[in-house]
Amino acid sequence: MRRVRNRWMQPAINLAIVVALLTALSYLPPDTSLADRQKTGVLKLCVPPSYPPLVTGDPNEPGFDIELAAKVAADLGLRLSVNTLSSIGKDFNPRNWALTRAQCDIIAGGVADTVQTRSFLQTIPTPIETGWVGVGKSPELPEAGATVAVLAGSSGLDRLQVSGWLRRNGWRTMPARSALQFTGVLDSGAASFGVTERSGLAALVLPAGVEVFALPAAEFPQYRMAFGLWKGDQTLKRAVEAAIGKLERSGELARLADRYGTKGYQRFSQELVP
Amino acid sequence: MLSGGMISPQPGAGPVSPAIAISVDALSARYGVNTVLDNVSLEIARGSSFALLGPNGAGKTTLLNILSTLRKPDGGSARVAGADVVRQQGEARRSLGVVFQDSSLDDRLTAWENLEFHGLVYGMPSRQRKERSAAVLALVELEDWRDEIVRSFSGGMRRRLEIARALLHEPKILFLDEPTAGLDAQTRVRIWRYLDELRRDRDLTVLTTTHYIEEVEGADTICIIDHGKIIAQGSPEALKTQHGHRWLHVIPRDAAALSAIAARRPDAQPLGAHGLALPADDGAEVDAFLAAFRDQLTEVQFQDPTLESVFLSLTGRQLRDRADDTHNAEKAAGRRGGRR
Amino acid sequence: MNRTMMALRGLYGVWLREITRATRDRAQLIGGISRPLIWLLILGVGLNPYFRGEVYGEVRFVIPFTYLQFLFPAVIVLNIMYTSIQFAVSVIWDREFGFLREVLVSPMPRWLILFGKVLGGATVATLHGALVLILARFADVTLSLEQVALALALMFTLAFGLTSFGVILAARVRSFEGFGVFSNTVILPLYFTSSSIFPLDPALTRAQQAVTYPEWLVFLVQINPITYAVDALRGVLINFNQFTPGWGIGIIVAMAVGFFLIAIIDFARQ
Repeated sequence: MRRVRNRWMQPAINLAIVVALLTALSYLPPDTSLADRQKTGVLKLCVPPSYPPLVTGDPNEPGFDIELAAKVAADLGLRLSVNTLSSIGKDFNPRNWALTRAQCDIIAGGVADTVQTRSFLQTIPTPIETGWVGVGKSPELPEAGATVAVLAGSSGLDRLQVSGWLRRNGWRTMPARSALQFTGVLDSGAASFGVTERSGLAALVLPAGVEVFALPAAEFPQYRMAFGLWKGDQTLKRAVEAAIGKLERSGELARLADRYGTKGYQRFSQELVP
Repeated sequence: MLSGGMISPQPGAGPVSPAIAISVDALSARYGVNTVLDNVSLEIARGSSFALLGPNGAGKTTLLNILSTLRKPDGGSARVAGADVVRQQGEARRSLGVVFQDSSLDDRLTAWENLEFHGLVYGMPSRQRKERSAAVLALVELEDWRDEIVRSFSGGMRRRLEIARALLHEPKILFLDEPTAGLDAQTRVRIWRYLDELRRDRDLTVLTTTHYIEEVEGADTICIIDHGKIIAQGSPEALKTQHGHRWLHVIPRDAAALSAIAARRPDAQPLGAHGLALPADDGAEVDAFLAAFRDQLTEVQFQDPTLESVFLSLTGRQLRDRADDTHNAEKAAGRRGGRR
Repeated sequence: MNRTMMALRGLYGVWLREITRATRDRAQLIGGISRPLIWLLILGVGLNPYFRGEVYGEVRFVIPFTYLQFLFPAVIVLNIMYTSIQFAVSVIWDREFGFLREVLVSPMPRWLILFGKVLGGATVATLHGALVLILARFADVTLSLEQVALALALMFTLAFGLTSFGVILAARVRSFEGFGVFSNTVILPLYFTSSSIFPLDPALTRAQQAVTYPEWLVFLVQINPITYAVDALRGVLINFNQFTPGWGIGIIVAMAVGFFLIAIIDFARQ
């Protein structure tokens, strides 16, 4: 025989048990990615040889991403092993970079936090921003029929967006095969205007008189640069995120960004006049 | 849908005397080709106890369903407490309390929760709900069980709780469909005592359907219904005088005696395996019979007119079908044991 | 005014009864917990290695989320579907065990009785769906209060529609015996063809054109209304839509209104 004085008593107890149980279960690790790294004691970071200011190749000032990764590794009690791979950024299709889970835990040095990147990797954004920018001698957009040089980087920005925009404005696209060619055609006047990635600007030696301009913000949003981690490495991702959060609260992240962030961006001031 | 010219053009303002609680006019109902109610008309006075008596399938429950607005009639009209059961359903329902043949309690709720549900559904404000619930629980002596889940209740307790629930919203009319089926005699007596008090004190009208003679002995009016037709109506005494017979029950000594008596008295009806029942209204005839067969009888008994005999003489059938009762009891038990 | 109060009391009474009954049904609660655990903790984690990347640029499962994040909103819908459609049992129970007559002879109009019942069923189903939200941390889904509120509103509307659907089923099912099997044959196919455990349109991103599904499967997924319910919830919880975002909400609302109207017609016939 069951006596029910207060009908909500038992359900409330049941519900409390259920909520406690589910909350407890939500703390279960969904995978072994963090545990495996802790077992080996090494955190592997894959970067291209140079992608200033994120990766510089200068041992005294190795770059924002490398210093940040080192701090994260220290926080996790791991040793950072930087794996410099020249294949990164050599090709438009990241598949041809042949980065595997065995080589890299984190991919950095030019990964933008875009939908395209997130299709393959999960991202932890850093304070550095990127996006398409315009480069030219005049802040005015050229007339239809003009030639526009495009230097696409490897950070995972949407190229279709650029080609669509160029087509709509009736410009001829001239894809640049290297940074040197890009600056060359701008200098010689073979191209009246150039489009490239903001995060790659630091590596360019722009000819005299050539300046950087923002493209129309509605069409070309700016993205954060990011650390790329493999999908499914949830525990590692959470740990890295927590470590970056700690650095952010202590102000170290901002200091690091200040130290690197100014380089290559000071020229970015004026928006293009359509 | 409605037929007959007895419907007044303005519903609710019809020529219904306040002394009449229920009026049924030329009501008929069909299930497919079967006619369950055939042109039934009756009137029930306020504060009276009215019993519909008839075998299973006579149409009692159909009549009750129409009166409680669960089913629409196929012809004729009916009013409860002045409200037409088809066109003024809301008002009709408000003045009714219904106790169904099978339990309609929620057996996952406690007694109190069942009453609370009923009070809410009938739109009673909180204070009134609490007061009335406590009062009706006390009425059926279930106060100690108010917080028990109904599933643990016995059949009698459920019945009492259902009656309490039907009275919660202070209806003017109470319908009881086979109200005390499966109850022990003590509970049955107690429930009838409650209801008689309510009739006296609050002018409650009680309409009962039953196939138990015992239930209706105390009714003001009995209406005998069979095959969807009213075949007799009146007070128990009137019915007994009018249709009842005095019977002589005899048990012959052997089979030879039995056939001899049967040959002499073709009006004799078999009674059990060995007995016979003979009409005994004519004293002289009885004396002659007894004088002739006295040596061949082992047992002789006079039976005064009962409602059972009234029913027997009106329909030519026994009222109660024992096998049917057992079946119903099993069905009820099976349901109670069933889980969702 | 007085009549409105009475109607509201009646509505509250019917709703309260459904809630009270649900709190006494432990089997139902256990089902509400075990489903998210099976689908998220076991299936989600078990299949995780098959959906994670091994080589950058080479993933079969090209959507900008992890598998657990992708699965999470679908599991909420699954929990709501089960609880809502199982609600039919309560309706059959009322009808078979005579309780229905107690309400039918009451002054409450039938549609209001049904409304109260469906509201009650939908409340319970929404609660069961909300249990899954507790596991958001596990699935790496970060939720703002606004997202939770919007999700709960969508979940309740969906639950309302599916509960009405349960009532419609109940009107067509005569016994309890077959209902368990029957409900599984309705719920699981709807769930599996709702793009819940695999992304529907592999051509969404160029890279995934390698993986294509046969047209008949794509067709099944596209005509399944649950697909759009899952999609709407994904839009709210992980900000990912495979279809035009408005469709999901539109279809959820249409189901709620349409199924409830059919349920009223069915219920009035009893």
